Amino acid sequence: MENEIRPPRRYKRSKLPKLVRWIFGLIVLSSFFWRLYTVIIVQNEYTPDIWVRLLISGLVIGGVYSLIAIGYTLVYGILRMINFAHGEVMMIGTFAGYFVFEATNAIRFTSSTGEITSLSNAQPFLSILLAFIVGMTVAATSGFLLEKIAYRPLRKAPRLIPLISAIGASIFLQNLAQLLFSPLVRDYKNPDLIARGQGWAITVAGARLTIPYTGVLTFSLSIILMFALYTMVRKSKLGKSMRAVAADKSTAALMGIDVNGVISQTFIISGMLAGAAGVMWGLHNGLVYYYVGFLPGIKAFTSAVLGGIGNIPGAMLGGMLLGMIESIGPTALGISYQLKDVLAFVILIIILIFRPSGILGEVLSEEKV
Amino acid sequence: MNKKLVSPSLKRGLTFGIVMIIFVLIDLDVMVATMLSKLFGANVIRGSIPDVGFMVLFLILFGMFVGWSTSSDDAKPTTKLFQALVAGLTLGVVLGLFDLILNQLIVTGTDVRKYLAALAPESIRLFLFDQGAISPLLHLGLFTVASLLGSLMKILLKSESASRFFKGVKSGYQGLQAKAQANTPNWVKKYGKFLLFLLIGLLAFFPPRIWGSYNNYVVGLVGLYVILGIGLNIIVGLSGQLMLGFAAFFAMGAYSVALLNAPLPHGIMLGFWPSLLIGILMAVVAAVLLGLPVMGMRGDYLAIVTLGFGEIIRILLKSDLLTSFTGGPRGIQDIRGPTLFGQSFSSDIDYTYIILVVMVLSIFIYKRLERSRTGRAWLAVKEDTKVAQATGVNIMTNKLLALCLGAAFAGLAGGIFAARNQFTGPNDHQLMVSMNILSILIVGGVNSIPGIILGAFTLKGLPEILREIENYRLLVFGGLLVVMMISRPEGLWPATRPNIEKDEGNKLKENGAPGEGGLND
Amino acid sequence: MTDPIIQVKNVSKIFGGLTAVNQVDIEVPEKHIYSIIGPNGAGKTTLFNCISGFYFPEKGEVLFYGDPIQGLSTNLVAWLGISRTYQNIRLFNNLTAVENILIGLHRNLKTNWFEAIIHTKRFQKEESGSVKEALRLLDYVGLKGYGDFLAKNLPYGLQRRLEIGRALANQPKLLLLDEPTAGMNMNETAEATHFIKRLRDELGITIILIEHDMKVVMGISDRISVLDYGTKIAEGNAAEIQANPRVIEAYLGPGGAALSEKYKKQRLSNAKSN
Repeated sequence: MENEIRPPRRYKRSKLPKLVRWIFGLIVLSSFFWRLYTVIIVQNEYTPDIWVRLLISGLVIGGVYSLIAIGYTLVYGILRMINFAHGEVMMIGTFAGYFVFEATNAIRFTSSTGEITSLSNAQPFLSILLAFIVGMTVAATSGFLLEKIAYRPLRKAPRLIPLISAIGASIFLQNLAQLLFSPLVRDYKNPDLIARGQGWAITVAGARLTIPYTGVLTFSLSIILMFALYTMVRKSKLGKSMRAVAADKSTAALMGIDVNGVISQTFIISGMLAGAAGVMWGLHNGLVYYYVGFLPGIKAFTSAVLGGIGNIPGAMLGGMLLGMIESIGPTALGISYQLKDVLAFVILIIILIFRPSGILGEVLSEEKV
Repeated sequence: MNKKLVSPSLKRGLTFGIVMIIFVLIDLDVMVATMLSKLFGANVIRGSIPDVGFMVLFLILFGMFVGWSTSSDDAKPTTKLFQALVAGLTLGVVLGLFDLILNQLIVTGTDVRKYLAALAPESIRLFLFDQGAISPLLHLGLFTVASLLGSLMKILLKSESASRFFKGVKSGYQGLQAKAQANTPNWVKKYGKFLLFLLIGLLAFFPPRIWGSYNNYVVGLVGLYVILGIGLNIIVGLSGQLMLGFAAFFAMGAYSVALLNAPLPHGIMLGFWPSLLIGILMAVVAAVLLGLPVMGMRGDYLAIVTLGFGEIIRILLKSDLLTSFTGGPRGIQDIRGPTLFGQSFSSDIDYTYIILVVMVLSIFIYKRLERSRTGRAWLAVKEDTKVAQATGVNIMTNKLLALCLGAAFAGLAGGIFAARNQFTGPNDHQLMVSMNILSILIVGGVNSIPGIILGAFTLKGLPEILREIENYRLLVFGGLLVVMMISRPEGLWPATRPNIEKDEGNKLKENGAPGEGGLND
Repeated sequence: MTDPIIQVKNVSKIFGGLTAVNQVDIEVPEKHIYSIIGPNGAGKTTLFNCISGFYFPEKGEVLFYGDPIQGLSTNLVAWLGISRTYQNIRLFNNLTAVENILIGLHRNLKTNWFEAIIHTKRFQKEESGSVKEALRLLDYVGLKGYGDFLAKNLPYGLQRRLEIGRALANQPKLLLLDEPTAGMNMNETAEATHFIKRLRDELGITIILIEHDMKVVMGISDRISVLDYGTKIAEGNAAEIQANPRVIEAYLGPGGAALSEKYKKQRLSNAKSN
């Protein structure tokens, strides 16, 4: 009986799966480059101004993804869990900003020149600042409550359970928003100063191009916030505590670090960033509705993984990269704009198959391996 | 003593106050009041406002719940009451303040429905018991008293005499159970299972002919979700691979039947049964295509990848690019149904039969798989993959097998679904569908057939029956997932492992002699 | 002269900057009880992992009856007839004890999922046979009556025995036991020691043992190897190892050998004067 079961003696670890993977990858990669070549060089129907326009919008959206991605990466680095409801935190930020602008728009008074105008237009900078502050605060609070209610009780549970709780929280928040505010898709009332679509006019290769005000605002604010966060994590006491908790929770606790507090603060910070991203999304894209957080959430997670989960510069890089790919990709590959989400998902799958640790490498806690 | 008691009760009152405010903002209070009125027999016309009394009832019940949960189990009665008092007062104060705002809205005639869609003036008035300015005080009083009542109930039910009473009832019941088991004649034990199935079979045959097409629709829907639940359970519950894009396999089956059985876009009329088989095959192919690359991925990444996979399929089905092949965003209409022996077999009654038969078959297959070498191998992979492999289980083959079998079930359900609805489109296969099926599994209980049936009924059947809940269904889903993970992750009807040693022992007792066979013949 | 059942030839396992196992040579003849001892962190479990396929050694070979097995996947290693237990007990916690052993029987069963669904005669026969075998093994390791307990609900000592039961189900030629008596008191240890000996004497299984309890090691080992910081520093029978100064220093630290001599002399002189 033993003899029938023993496999042939010189049975090596089969190299086949790895080979299949590499062949598959090679096919995908070469067809990808072939397609790029065909569309860009051969067909050449796109003038430079189109590329510049796409580049700009890619940078803008990349900034938004980066901010949300940092939130994912912070939480994954510390708790080793995907905060599935993070997209909804962004959505909450978007809604908060929307209400602020509705309010500032509704407050009307007579200005010094005698015309009737809204607070929004009389004091645009104040309104914008207010929108961001309120958006970030409300989102941060949501992140804090989310952790406290749905994740903290499950700190010690096997990995699947908090993930399902996160999914539940995501569904819950989406539908709460839908029930509260109806499925109606609403518009952001930007102050006239930064109305959507308005911007600086430039000429590129003979064609007129607009650099949108909202885009510049979004991009610069993203960079500022990313820089602030990175400095905070590297230099401040909180940042050190966060890294310590991420590396080894129990030892950090033994060293006197308030682990629960640090985790809460992590969620607060990632919530703040997501809230800012949400307001930016509203200003630039104009749309706010209960489902607005879902796709950006997934794409931001893809960005975080792309750059290396747990790795903050990685999240920033990944966000920017994904924004560019999403913006320039469909045109460069000659496929419909509808399929840009498919592109993002395909990239996610490819990264997770071939380089799950991301471009800049993972930074994860030792435990739970 | 005071500070320690006051603070948590205060927090609780505050929390529940906010919960109630949210309820009002989403019109849940009116919904519950309507349901309560239905419960008491009132004939409710759609869209009408229930009687004030039921709103009062709802708020009283809510208050009692707050009082009950604030009273710590092991506190003295006076302490319990004190806790409830604090919570109730806080609750009342919070809501009283809220009422002041609501009153302002009514008085000034402002309609906030531009922003808060559910806050109709009638709803507000109902919440305020139509009492205007004194409603804050009314609420304060109501909640305080209700909270105390709740605490009182806890005191009574948790007291010595009460627990003795309940214990007595329980042991009495167990005694009866034991007696009944001892006294059943042997023939019932042997043929009981068979008779039960016969009875169920008969019961399943007649009602579909009688109770009307709507009930057939609901039963069919629940049945389909049971089949889907079983399929997903093989992947998630048995082999432990968290799959969030299960709808993709469902789509494979649905679209196969649709594309091969409808006038547009292809005009092929292959017939239901062959195209159903093709649908199952397509689902399995998709499973292999998904499974091979993701073999080594860790759990949470696998979840996201499968989610992406599901979304890719959906977007492709919806895209203009593939419209000529898939019918695009409009979907496929006029799908022809099954025929049996030449006769059309596609009335709603017939579909119910089909679904019930397939459901029973699925349960049967699942049970056989679970209690076999393959089923155990899957569970080992789920428990501890590395050790399972070191114990001789081939991880890759088994994981892939689980994916394929689970996908087959989904394809099967998808094909039947499409034919029954005579229509399918990309919206039938979105992420929410996958989440629904996962929720059924989690809420009902993983690896548990009664759990899956219970889950399917609760999450799909109940909302159909209780139409009022429909709007709140997903909200409750999401909340339920979170709550269940925290308090009862094993589900409403948890699974149990088979008692192999006991069964062997019983078998030996019955047969009186050791059985033949063994590994070493 | 037949090949020894296991030959570890010049095996090294390196993790980045850390050399966990450094050019270790071990030869275990058939039906021997061979112990590997050494302070914590010496690389003993890592060596086990190299033998059983969990790790791929950077250098060297592992030969099973003369055939190289380093780099084989763990389930192929199991197929060849090598089973192991784990330092921190890795049972299938949410399965019953019987089911744990049944999984150990996995490689010996041949029916597939399709036959399971339609319940062919062959399937039923194999299934009932495997259940009987599992129950027999349950009894053999002393867990009769505990079969339907979930593995996680068993008391610690019984969990260890169950793990051995699962390892035995594979009908192994070689059994790797990683600290089988950890956490046991004197009685349990004595029982376990006796049991391990039975495995070799009754079933002819070769056993390689990682242990910290010296009574066990010195009591039943035919041969002992000592590892320290990944290197083999001594090999021999019980007496040779006990007398080896390098071994003593590995456990007691530098100067330990001299200290040990000093105390030995003291004890002898005390015994003489009394």
